Amino acid sequence: MLLRVVIKRLLAMIPLLLVIATLTFMVIRVVPGGPFDQERNLPPQILANLNAKYHLDKPVLEQYFLYLGRLCHADLGVSYKYVDRTVVDIIKDAFPVSIQLGGAGLLIAVLIGVPLGTIAALRRGTHIDHLAMFVSTMGLSLPLFVVGALLILVFAIWGKALPAALWESPLHAILPALTIAFKPMAYIARLTRASVLEILQKDWVRIARSKGLSESATIIKHVLRNALIPVVTLLGPVSAVMIAGSFVVEIIYAIPGMGRFFVTAVMNRDYDLIMGITLIFSVVLVITNTIVDVLYMILDPRISYE
Amino acid sequence: MLNTGCARQSPWQPGILRVNLGTEPPTLDWHLSVDMISFEVIQNIMSGLTQYSNGVDGAKLTCQAACAKKWEVLDGGTRYVFHLRDDIYWTDGKKLTAKDFEYAWQRLIDPATGAAYAHFLYDVINAREINQAQIKDLSKLGAKALDDLTFEVRLNKPAAYFIYLTAGPTTFPMRKDIVEAYPGRWTEPQNIITNGAFKLDSWQHEYKIDLQANEKYFGGRPKIDKIKMFMIPEQSTAFSLYQNDQLDFIDNRSFTTSDIAQCKKDPNFKTQALLRAQYLGLNTLKSPLNDVRVRKALAMSIDKNIFPKILRRQETPMQSWIPPVLTGFKQDSGIAFNPEEGRKLLALAGYPGGKNFPRTEVLYVSREDTKLGLEAIQAELKKNLGISIELVNQEFKVYLTTRKLHPPHMIRASWSADFPDTDNFMSVFTSDSGNNYTGFKNKEYDRLVEAARGELDNEKRALLYSQADKLLCKENAVLIPLYMATQCVLYKPWVHGIDVNALDIQNYRTAYLEGSN
Amino acid sequence: MKEPQKRFLKQFSRMPMACGSLVFILIISVIAILNSLGINLSPYSFDQTSSDILQSPTFAHPMGTDELGRDLLSRVFFGSQLSIGIGIFTAVMSFLIGTVYGAIAGYCRGKVDAILMRIVDVAYALPDLLVMILIGVMIGRGTLGILLALGLVSWRGTARLVRAQFLQLHQEEFIEAARALGQNHLDIICKHMLPNSLGPVIVAVTFTVPMAILSESTLSFIGLGLSPPACSWGTLASDGWRSLRTTPHLIFFPGIFIFMSVLSFNFLGDGLRDALDPRTKASSKQFF
Repeated sequence: MLLRVVIKRLLAMIPLLLVIATLTFMVIRVVPGGPFDQERNLPPQILANLNAKYHLDKPVLEQYFLYLGRLCHADLGVSYKYVDRTVVDIIKDAFPVSIQLGGAGLLIAVLIGVPLGTIAALRRGTHIDHLAMFVSTMGLSLPLFVVGALLILVFAIWGKALPAALWESPLHAILPALTIAFKPMAYIARLTRASVLEILQKDWVRIARSKGLSESATIIKHVLRNALIPVVTLLGPVSAVMIAGSFVVEIIYAIPGMGRFFVTAVMNRDYDLIMGITLIFSVVLVITNTIVDVLYMILDPRISYE
Repeated sequence: MLNTGCARQSPWQPGILRVNLGTEPPTLDWHLSVDMISFEVIQNIMSGLTQYSNGVDGAKLTCQAACAKKWEVLDGGTRYVFHLRDDIYWTDGKKLTAKDFEYAWQRLIDPATGAAYAHFLYDVINAREINQAQIKDLSKLGAKALDDLTFEVRLNKPAAYFIYLTAGPTTFPMRKDIVEAYPGRWTEPQNIITNGAFKLDSWQHEYKIDLQANEKYFGGRPKIDKIKMFMIPEQSTAFSLYQNDQLDFIDNRSFTTSDIAQCKKDPNFKTQALLRAQYLGLNTLKSPLNDVRVRKALAMSIDKNIFPKILRRQETPMQSWIPPVLTGFKQDSGIAFNPEEGRKLLALAGYPGGKNFPRTEVLYVSREDTKLGLEAIQAELKKNLGISIELVNQEFKVYLTTRKLHPPHMIRASWSADFPDTDNFMSVFTSDSGNNYTGFKNKEYDRLVEAARGELDNEKRALLYSQADKLLCKENAVLIPLYMATQCVLYKPWVHGIDVNALDIQNYRTAYLEGSN
Repeated sequence: MKEPQKRFLKQFSRMPMACGSLVFILIISVIAILNSLGINLSPYSFDQTSSDILQSPTFAHPMGTDELGRDLLSRVFFGSQLSIGIGIFTAVMSFLIGTVYGAIAGYCRGKVDAILMRIVDVAYALPDLLVMILIGVMIGRGTLGILLALGLVSWRGTARLVRAQFLQLHQEEFIEAARALGQNHLDIICKHMLPNSLGPVIVAVTFTVPMAILSESTLSFIGLGLSPPACSWGTLASDGWRSLRTTPHLIFFPGIFIFMSVLSFNFLGDGLRDALDPRTKASSKQFF
């Protein structure tokens, strides 16, 4: 049954990607500005030559079908800014970086967030609860760039313990991963707390407790398992937000990831690159969502997807 | 070896210079590049017919021998003959010949290349026609290899600035076999063949470019073994890295305005005046700026002396369009600060005390310094004329489109010199210029600029230019010059011999690292 | 309905943190409203420059001055109207659109749910930044563009959460009972399912206010913020963060206001959640 859901979702990805490709394609051509607009005006003849080279002189609809045609051959086109580099080349370089950064961030967020939220809920009203919630609220209360600047100031400038930026070794990943994890961690902690509190009120938890099940067994078997359902739904959007939102972190720490390429591409109207990265993001997102749904079914067998 | 700034390690790595490029160079194909970042890399890996003198005397740059050991200017300035050195080799061991220049210039002008700066060569015979596809045969171009070591260029008419073009990256030689063997990918590190002081070792996009000393460089192997050029977009991050000894040499791209005060305390902080003019372009066709009195009133009511105070990089306040170091500059070509006179003019134009002054917009691209400067201008005009102007901040590409399709009342713009000659500035505001967004079309101005272009007598040339400048800034107030930008550099005590010039090209071939620790 | 309201007030008033937060939010809102009515609470105007450049806090300028010698206190006050306004507007949009959308999907299930969720998937897969730039470009820089951009990207999370809650509630006995008793769909949704799914939704929507305030500052960070001299806490923070080492007051004060208001909205949300949910009565200890 699980397999069927997975296959179904993956098949549903194709029309989804088509819709996204179409929307993005239209959207970026509505936005003013073109890939070859620059400070110094190009002579019209040269502009015409450039547009012809990349088929930008054809009607939009024709460009669209040309693009789809290439897409079928897994050809994502070429970048106009990184002259003559293919979009696939760029993504091959940038994607692993973002995955490492996002993965490290997500890991930190979950590993700290879930226990923090659970403990806070179980010790509700105590100082532990207050402290946990205060810490997690801090993560939500400051702009990401301020968090990044503070971390650099404390750990790199004053502490001289960690590199201030760049992407050279695992050591260099610590500060950016912490920065990117700050927000999701807080979010996960708070939602875990809210969710655990809700479950603790349920009759069947009380029954489980009254049946003499030990406290830790109750929490793990009954409470956490059910409490994590709303939290699990967050993981999809959270990981997408982390990959796309990694832009701020990648700029601050000078990391060559997808977020940075994406923003540069948008600013440059690098049409094919925007499309390519958007599509990759979509694939990642659909896959995370499928994973979330599968987790969902494992955690709560009562939910069916038929 | 990984350097994380641990105390025991030496703060610098022998022979390795670490700098910040700021952003990714869009391309290393010197026919397609148009920006300072690409040029900075290309200038260090390539060498052209001539090169600029080390800018010790500030902005006065002259051309000296490079690949060409000498050159002759013949036929009243319409024919140039360059004699190449005999001992120049490309990084793959092949000898540099005049054919490499001939091919490069033909490719530059070939419409199929789509080179943005192809028009630099429009003075060369048939260049314009070839580039506009009126002539198909590239070999008709008036630039030829007479033999292996002689390169001849014939011009349509004399052009006083022509020699400067041979020092810029756009006219550098290029290897036909390499370009054709790896179409589209010849600038990748594994393919590219160059002749400069350094060679391209690796290129990690949006992150770092590594250059390595070229053992066979004809000017002598540089003292530095390796340059790591990082692409750190965020100024304060770069400054943190500098403070932690992760960068050796930084400039404006690597500190913010608020860091300047701290930088200035360092004995190794230097400021270089640039040929980069900052200005407000006024739309002479749009009410209320179609009234010359209003334009003059605005120009009179902005105290340009506030810019160095706010931006703190020793900017030179400007009144006229021609930079102080170039031919034709005159102090009185522009409009001086005089708010009283400005108020009078504004009243004459029908807006006494700024009353009923219509909504007026300034279009700009948000950057720390432009934003601060504009907010100061906004406050100046409110204080001195009683008018409020609106600042419209647009993302770069949108700004370009708006400027082209719906030119607003004013634009905040910047002009960086491509070569150190007045022509490069004056031709911005001619009637047929693609960079003139003011609606200003003046036959007399066009005539003066055209005449000066072919005038080889420097005094007569200066006179023509100062007349044109006066026409532009004082009589018509087409633009309000604000200030000339500067480049500030800060380097670690172990860094020596880096040359920064007024065109903002940084040459690392003379650099070396030396010091205690 | 008198009894539950009384109980709500009683519960809520027992939580000093939540009450304190409400007071703080009210004060900030009053400052914001006064500012938008043109009543300035500080002696300087927000765009009045002076020669006192980059002064540290003094008696005359309690928060110091910025690069153009403008009084930071009056700028922070001026910025409150945009920041708070943007935050609340976005939260309301997110709540209204998200709840209705999620409720329909979660209640109907089946094909309707599948289609609606695929639309959410599409909305999610279009990067926020692209949507924001597009809207910024179409509407033009300014408050309206930012509001629309934030509104358009903020509803999706709420929709998903409400749907997830609804899917779970379908399994509960009391919903099945209500259905068996023949109650109509609207009644089941409004009387049984919505109230029982509000807890996490309120928590989530509470987070939308700070999310919007912070997103606005991120837009400024990218260079897509409000046009000067207008300012919000977000633009002040994004202008100030680079000078963290040299002139920390430029980031400290806007940062503190962002921090405090976000904190307040969170505590308020927690308080509301506890007070709204009758099932937590037994364990209602004081929060802080």
